[in-house]
Amino acid sequence: MIALAILIALGPLAGPAAALAGARARMAGIAQAAGAAIAFGCSLALLAVLGGGAPLAAWDGFLYVDSLGGFFVMTVAAVTLLAAVGSISYVSAQEDDGELSGFQVRLYFSFFGLFASLMLAALETGNLGLLFVLVEASTLASAALVGLEGRARSLEAAWKYVIISSLGVTIALAGTLFLFYSGSALHLGSNLGLTWPYLLVHAQALAPQSLRLAFMLAVVGYGTKVGLAPMHTWLPDAHAEAPSPASAMLSAALLNTGMYAIIRFLAIANRGLGSTFPRAVLLSFGFASIVIGALFMVRRGNFKRLFAYSSVEHMGIIAVALGFGGVLGLYGALLQTLNHALAKAVLFLSSGDVSLRYKTREAPQVSGLLAAVPVTGGVLLLATFAVLGSPPFGLFLSELTIVRAGFASASPVFPLLLLALLGLAFVAFARTTAGMVTGSPPDRLASPYRGHAAVAVTAAPLILGLAALLVLGLWIPAGLNTILVRSVAVIG
Amino acid sequence: MENLAATSTAGVLLDLSGVLILLLAFACLASKLFNRYVVYYGAQSVVLSFAAATVAVVFHSVELWILAVLTLAIKGIAIPLAARRLLVTRLALKRDAAMSTGLSTSLIAGGALTAFAYLVTRPALLPNGTVASAVVPLSTAVILLGALSMVVRRHTVAQLIGWLIVENGVFLGAITLVATFPFIVEAGIFLDIVAGVLIMVVFVSGLTRQLAEASATELRELQG
Repeated sequence: MIALAILIALGPLAGPAAALAGARARMAGIAQAAGAAIAFGCSLALLAVLGGGAPLAAWDGFLYVDSLGGFFVMTVAAVTLLAAVGSISYVSAQEDDGELSGFQVRLYFSFFGLFASLMLAALETGNLGLLFVLVEASTLASAALVGLEGRARSLEAAWKYVIISSLGVTIALAGTLFLFYSGSALHLGSNLGLTWPYLLVHAQALAPQSLRLAFMLAVVGYGTKVGLAPMHTWLPDAHAEAPSPASAMLSAALLNTGMYAIIRFLAIANRGLGSTFPRAVLLSFGFASIVIGALFMVRRGNFKRLFAYSSVEHMGIIAVALGFGGVLGLYGALLQTLNHALAKAVLFLSSGDVSLRYKTREAPQVSGLLAAVPVTGGVLLLATFAVLGSPPFGLFLSELTIVRAGFASASPVFPLLLLALLGLAFVAFARTTAGMVTGSPPDRLASPYRGHAAVAVTAAPLILGLAALLVLGLWIPAGLNTILVRSVAVIG
Repeated sequence: MENLAATSTAGVLLDLSGVLILLLAFACLASKLFNRYVVYYGAQSVVLSFAAATVAVVFHSVELWILAVLTLAIKGIAIPLAARRLLVTRLALKRDAAMSTGLSTSLIAGGALTAFAYLVTRPALLPNGTVASAVVPLSTAVILLGALSMVVRRHTVAQLIGWLIVENGVFLGAITLVATFPFIVEAGIFLDIVAGVLIMVVFVSGLTRQLAEASATELRELQG
């Protein structure tokens, strides 16, 4: 089992290895995808093993994977696989085009794999200090991806991202310190004392004032990475400027890693403080994010910014679901995490294809996608409906669960407000993407890819991701259900 | 660590270091010359490494000794020297005029934040008479001052120094609150800071080349 966990974290390093050995984009991409496939396969195997038994713990708690961690590992590994396959055609098209130099291609794959590997490692550690170290390291690795293209705009976005996120994560470190301090009465002498499972068991013995401060700081700090408003300001710039497969990683993997850290703190706070205070905090940040996300989606412009604001909105929905609490709310939050990750990966990967073909990232300049590129156009249209919560896709199911949880727990004002905001988001988002998909295409659109294989590789992750979303909307596999139920019990 | 009395020799030394670190953060906030930022930051890190060495003596901890030496070597010497070279040789920067508030306003705000730090941490959180109750408010104030200078200064280098001051504040809190922090974690934090500085310096240089002056005022292409 330990070997599986190590393989998951090391698998994505295949890409950097190939890139450093001097491979060109196509070969490095294939190596990256193979590594990601190994990681994803191992994560499924790990979940299967964990499904029936105790959490995996080793090395004084530096390695700790329970069903909650395993679930997030599986989500991030799945996104990594989709984005890695998308990278093969995207980056080699850019390389053939002369947009990216050989050095930039090597840089891309080096940091892509490192980024994925650091995130997966962060999800597998039980030591909260090490969690900070790995999350901060993943910030730095992904900053290089955001600034990859080297133009003034992308450097500006990368600077904003790295400075805001680093400050945020440092605040989370201060929160972690206060959490450890709240356990002074426990005499946390050993490494084991600073691990999440130990603190969870002894949550009742933690000093409440210190724990409250720790939880606040952690939500603000890791919330910066999640993109909760008002700490979201780096997010649209970074998502818009990064190469599209890297945007998919940011939106569908990085934000979830931040949310995972918040959930760990939430579990301790729920047991140590009771649920009133954590709920109030999460509902406030959650609704602020949904409002900001929905309002900024109204503006028609760069379609990658649109998707980024949609991520802000969805992270808000997940925070609200965690705030509603109860079995329904937590179950909905986790299901929403998986569904959103798949939908956003598909959307950003299709945006990569669109921007390669139309040579623009501005939505008003794109039209007739369905006629010009049926596969991407169709996927973009369906993924739009999926991400906005239409049946029969997975997000419909998870958002319905969350709204039901709202009616069951708090006053009906909150779920009604949530429904109204979802309606606003639907109109704002769909009006932009509908304009891109319909209409007549421009006269001449050159294919950016060389050969049919590249076209097929571009389409594969789109169709796979969409199919998974459809399946999750109709049927939740028994194994996944078990994992979700057990994770909900962990959060409490 | 939590039980170390504020009146013991080590406690007094730590308290003194904390006060010096806070004063240096104020000095940095009040300065308008790039050279000074770097000097104040370097001095702050030297004091911090002294504080870490004090804790190391009390707890006979080899790991903390290593950290004290690392702090001195990297934060106290290497980063300031490198930053100086970057500023003087490559960017030819002297005066930092890009502030969003006046100096006096930012100093008053700094004073208010220091008072706020005491308000939040002192009464209920920390037991009286321990060294933590003396130093943690100071370190919280340093964190807030670092964040403040990131907010009021628009130049990218000044923002980077602000972040490093925040890190120093967290480190001061860490050695007084949880002296038993696992070494691997402390070392990892260190590595992150170094890597962070390297990556940020690359961006600063790139931005400077593209914008003539890497002032965040001019970073306004991305809006909305």
